[in-house]
Amino acid sequence: MMAAAAELESSLELSLGGGAGPGGLPPARSRIFKIIVIGDSNVGKTCLTYRFCAGRFPQRTEATIGVDFRERAVTIDGERIKIQLWDTAGQERFRKSMVQHYYRNVHAVVFVYDMTNLASFQSLPSWIEECKQHLLANDIPRILVGNKCDLRNAIQVPTDLAQKFADTHSMPLFETSAKSPNDNDHVEAIFMTLAHKLKSHKPLMLSQPPGSGEMHLKPEPKPAMTCWC
Amino acid sequence: MAVRGRRAGHRDYDSKKKRKEAEIQQALSSDPIDVATLRRMAISEGGLLTDEIRRKVWPKLLNVNTDDLPLPPGKELREDNKDYQQVLLDVRRSLRRFPPGMPDEQREGLQEDLIDIILHVLKRNPQLHYYQGYHDIVVTFLLVVGNRLATALVEKLSTHHLRDFMDPTMDNTKHILNYLMPIIDQVNPEVHDFMQSAEVGTIFALSWLITWFGHVLSDMRQVVRLYDFFLACHPLMPIYFAAVIVLHREQEVLDCECDMASVHHLLSQIPQDLPYETLISQAGDLFVQFPPSELAREARQHAERMAASTFKDFELASAQQRPDMVLRQRFWDRLRGEERTKSVLTKPRTNRLVKLAVMGLTVALGAAALAVVKSALEWAPKFELQIFP
Repeated sequence: MMAAAAELESSLELSLGGGAGPGGLPPARSRIFKIIVIGDSNVGKTCLTYRFCAGRFPQRTEATIGVDFRERAVTIDGERIKIQLWDTAGQERFRKSMVQHYYRNVHAVVFVYDMTNLASFQSLPSWIEECKQHLLANDIPRILVGNKCDLRNAIQVPTDLAQKFADTHSMPLFETSAKSPNDNDHVEAIFMTLAHKLKSHKPLMLSQPPGSGEMHLKPEPKPAMTCWC
Repeated sequence: MAVRGRRAGHRDYDSKKKRKEAEIQQALSSDPIDVATLRRMAISEGGLLTDEIRRKVWPKLLNVNTDDLPLPPGKELREDNKDYQQVLLDVRRSLRRFPPGMPDEQREGLQEDLIDIILHVLKRNPQLHYYQGYHDIVVTFLLVVGNRLATALVEKLSTHHLRDFMDPTMDNTKHILNYLMPIIDQVNPEVHDFMQSAEVGTIFALSWLITWFGHVLSDMRQVVRLYDFFLACHPLMPIYFAAVIVLHREQEVLDCECDMASVHHLLSQIPQDLPYETLISQAGDLFVQFPPSELAREARQHAERMAASTFKDFELASAQQRPDMVLRQRFWDRLRGEERTKSVLTKPRTNRLVKLAVMGLTVALGAAALAVVKSALEWAPKFELQIFP
């Protein structure tokens, strides 16, 4: 019973522990990318975020009540960046009054549906609408992730349908499996692509006061696998 | 020597336990049943001690007649039930809540029972709405008292203590969460101010509140101990207990980086070795020192426009004339009256940094505990009103 909780916790400890600088110096303050992960119940939001932050598929997960938080530090072009993933409850009643606090200062949104559950794909428009209401800025990067692509015999959402939808909403589409990451797009690659995009996109929240003036960022080459237009 | 000391301690515990068991038995066999004593027993050190006692006492705390239990719910409930899919998803994933050594077959049987109980209660009470986490409460009752009794207890609980969480929206739940920061502020303004500047919000305590900590505690013994306490108390007690946990971790909180993510993460990971008996006692004391009526105004300021809509909901709901609604309406009417007086007085905040005084809830249950028990009657099933005239 405790294993699951301890396991989930370790993903953060891992990343926080990794943040310490060499020689006992306090770690250099790094930029933080805050990403919110939304979608219907049981599409695999917790598993995807856990896979990225802890590097493996959690043994068992339970319904997320409210909002969970996971984090991982990565290095992109020599810069240390903290990626914060906010994992939200899927049940509709939690969205309305509970989750909006966590949309604040979000840098990117990940919409998740379950490729083996058509209904979870069909509720995407309402998630997108909701997201629009919470986020004032329109230019926040958003991506669409179809999860559970390893369950080949149960697929209900064909790729071309999903791609069409993604195109209509100007989002890149990824099909993946948190459980079996060798299938299609690697979870790691998806979040890293997003991080690259964020890094090159615009200045983000700094956890140190700006003013050093040295924040000139090289624009990232677009990853071949996605289309950001 | 150490061994002898331990033995003596053990003997002492055993004799205390025996005494308490006898007292509970006596309360159960008196005519009419001495529910006030049962409440005190459920709150005081160790709670109701064993599941065997819980099976007898929990129904009394909820005023459920055990001679006339509903038949076990049938499978036909699963057809066109709007909540069935969500319940199914949540129950299937709730493996962690069953004892680790339980054979799969037995666990799967219980999971089916769990689904049936939930759907049964929802079907009979169309005003109630399922929420993720409700299953964490129901499973506790199922494991302790079994299928049929659990159905009756959960139904009563859902129309009383859990009623606010089961509204069509979570606005009332949010309103209850708004009590958390004012309670913390009363005891330790530094922690309060730190949390405010971190903008941590209160969602870290959401699962604590709506599952009565069933979702976050690993040890079933701790869970049922808390259920003893909450069943005997005012429905807002879980939010006082949440505050006490935060206050207990004061140093960790203040040592944390002052941002939403760090504080949210720290607080949402509940330590598994909390001193429960002490915390229960402190929560009771806090309740007595800062009763909900006193905190209501501050909670409302915290919530801004929450209050009006909440009250409207109450008015609408009470129009249905359900008995629990009438009780609640009375409570809110009185509360509003008190507030009107208070806002005129605009009392300065003289009571910042009040030390938590342990009034001995754990040992003797004096006047303070009586107040906790008494206030529970505001919401409790009405049969007991004659006990405290």
